[in-house]
Amino acid sequence: MNAKLTTTPDRRTVLRGGIITAASLPLGVTLASCATGGGGDEETTDGGEEPGGETSADNPFGMAENTTVDAVIFDGGYGVDYVEFAADILAETHEGSSVEVSPSTQIATELQPRFVGGNPPDLVDNSGAGSIGFNAILDQLEDLNDVIDAPNLEGTTIRDTLYDGVLAPSTYGDKLAAINYVLTVYGVWYSSSLFEENGWTPPTTWDEALELGAAAKEQDLYLFGWGTEAATYYQTLAIESAIKEGGDEVRLALENLEADCWSQDAIQGVFAAMKEAVDAGYFKPGGSGTQFTAAQAQWSNTQEFLLYPSGSWIENEMRDQTTEGFEMKGISSMSLTSSPALGADALHSTAGEPFIVPSDGNTAAGKELLRIMLSKESAENFAATKLAPTIVRDTVPADGFGSTALVSQTDLLSAAGESIFTFNFVNTYGMNPEQLPIWNSFLDGSKSVADLTSELQAITDRIREDDTIDKVEVS
Amino acid sequence: MTLSGSVIDGQPPNQTTPTGPVPGPRRGRRRKWTLDRITFFIVFLGLPLALFLIFVINPFIQAGYYSLTNWSGFSPEQEFVGLQNFITLAQDPRFTNAVGNSVVLGLVVPFVTLTIALIFAILITIGGAGRGQIRGVKGAGFYRVVSLFPYVIPGIAIGLIWRLILDPSSGLVNGVLTGLGLDQFESFAWLGNVTTAMPASIFVIVWGFVGFYMLLFIAAIKGIPAETYEAARLDGAGRARMSWSITLPLIRDNVQTAYIYIGIMALDAYVYMQALNPQGGPDSSTLVMSQQLFRTAFTESKFGYASAMGVVIALVTLVFAALVFTVNRLTGGKDDGGAS
Repeated sequence: MNAKLTTTPDRRTVLRGGIITAASLPLGVTLASCATGGGGDEETTDGGEEPGGETSADNPFGMAENTTVDAVIFDGGYGVDYVEFAADILAETHEGSSVEVSPSTQIATELQPRFVGGNPPDLVDNSGAGSIGFNAILDQLEDLNDVIDAPNLEGTTIRDTLYDGVLAPSTYGDKLAAINYVLTVYGVWYSSSLFEENGWTPPTTWDEALELGAAAKEQDLYLFGWGTEAATYYQTLAIESAIKEGGDEVRLALENLEADCWSQDAIQGVFAAMKEAVDAGYFKPGGSGTQFTAAQAQWSNTQEFLLYPSGSWIENEMRDQTTEGFEMKGISSMSLTSSPALGADALHSTAGEPFIVPSDGNTAAGKELLRIMLSKESAENFAATKLAPTIVRDTVPADGFGSTALVSQTDLLSAAGESIFTFNFVNTYGMNPEQLPIWNSFLDGSKSVADLTSELQAITDRIREDDTIDKVEVS
Repeated sequence: MTLSGSVIDGQPPNQTTPTGPVPGPRRGRRRKWTLDRITFFIVFLGLPLALFLIFVINPFIQAGYYSLTNWSGFSPEQEFVGLQNFITLAQDPRFTNAVGNSVVLGLVVPFVTLTIALIFAILITIGGAGRGQIRGVKGAGFYRVVSLFPYVIPGIAIGLIWRLILDPSSGLVNGVLTGLGLDQFESFAWLGNVTTAMPASIFVIVWGFVGFYMLLFIAAIKGIPAETYEAARLDGAGRARMSWSITLPLIRDNVQTAYIYIGIMALDAYVYMQALNPQGGPDSSTLVMSQQLFRTAFTESKFGYASAMGVVIALVTLVFAALVFTVNRLTGGKDDGGAS
């Protein structure tokens, strides 16, 4: 199935991409508090020079003629060619204009001087491990609501073409500070062909997972494995399971950094189940010293372990290192009991790859490129070449371009219906670097559930007590 | 730096004739400001000084100023907060941990590297046969070339290569160890264990630098007149005695300089640590100051706070250099005529 795939992303950029895609989701809810508290949403001026062309249906933002649009795009798991695709359309629809697409893996380091100097790019994909914290630049960004309210190339208002709720995570107060372009589904991924061969069924609860681990062990396989930079994928899995089990209150306690939030029953239940798996030897040893793409290849290529919790970028990320006939599929993360509060099909899904338009740039040009990217044509191109859905609805055909993983994403989304949830506190407060070492030690067996809980709580407590960090009230 | 050979040559150190390009007297009085003289000063003094001020001193001052602000780094706005950043730093367990790790590197890496480099250098220069001409062990030229190989590889590549070699499942090290029947190293995570992560990282850095410092010491030892060794040998000194009583004192200045160079590198160590353990190692046991600084600036958008860390790093480095000078002095460095 993978033979059809066209592009081959560089391995190292992909590696960055993974963690980052994970991290880059709707980053900075942090900023919400700045926008609402500090005031001045209204101050957003409409960019500097607006020599501007006429506004019309074809040119809703009045982009001037003969413009060179300056776009800096994160060159991660998805590459930059999907933006170049939209750039070609822009060059056709605006004769004389063109787009300069600059790939970058270090957005913050490269763009920092440009932001300070007042000449930022017109459009930025602020993603990756080196992305800019939203709280640092929120007041220098355009409100993108007018992009959403503009017609797309096919003439439909863009707002009517998007999945529900995809804009909420990047909306601060009334301001839409970023448009997250790619829809990500989180879950646990496995090889359906391997499972069929062995007569296994993917687990829906942690008890079933442990049984599967025992069955795998008989064949000298492991249930789980991890890589050192991606150990917190298991934290994501644990939080997903706990939120499913305990409902919104579990999520809100974590999001609002409450005291003892990691001691909630649902979370402790999942931690205990994980510890059982660790102690039973169901985790492939050595993960804390293994590079995460190498660890992922132990799953997708040499199939040394069965299940891997991750976001849906995993298929694209491991494209080159997935064995023939793997038939990748995903399930929603295991629940603790058979009747969890949010339902067994509840799903963690959110949009990633935040595109921003800095106010000091040529905002009309940046918005115009973004508008073209949100057209059906560009979105279909993205889905077909990257095997991932964008926030634009109905761009993935029933056969998922031959990708079982993409089909299973669509299935998971429709099965979940309304019970789709997300959480942002880890990224909002930049906790991941500190949590990684803790999870590495927990997964290799050297920390108990009590250690894990108290150390994660200590990070939460420190941030809650630190007055210099803006808190985001989540409800 | 010059070798301290003047005493041996029988010349009082002060009377060495100047060899550098000294502007000789041109027609008339020495102090006259001729065009020639002025252009000379501009080119050889003014230009470097200007570059130094603009690109070295100015950033220092800027960083010093930013360390007193709460600058986020992405907007021109900033507020003066005085020494608040430094007070916070002193109480920040993440940073104090990083300082501790850097200090460990600063103590261990130079000592181990230079000891090994010195031993190799001595073997290659005077470790050979006990009769006839003073020479190194057999095949010295070969060893000399081979041991420089690691230094030719860029640090980042060294880090990435060793990360693969140390990989728990498919790495060379565990492959060899389990091949020898040591089954406890099956899937052993060298870089993922609190007890082994730091030693393994230090090993990689040492591996990368021994060759270069060995070459430096060889050059220094070659500068010692062979007659000195011959005289010592006639007096009955063995190779160990010659190394300890002749070689070491005479290349003392080289060792001191090398110590400071590699010490500064070890206090930074960013490239190696970032390649080997980008997330800071198990329980942050290999997280160094420069990594924490980068994280603070670009991930947490606290440039003012990060600048304060930079100032602390500069201070730690200065203290380190001062310590090396002091130790060298206290152990008799200046008596041997080493100080130039």
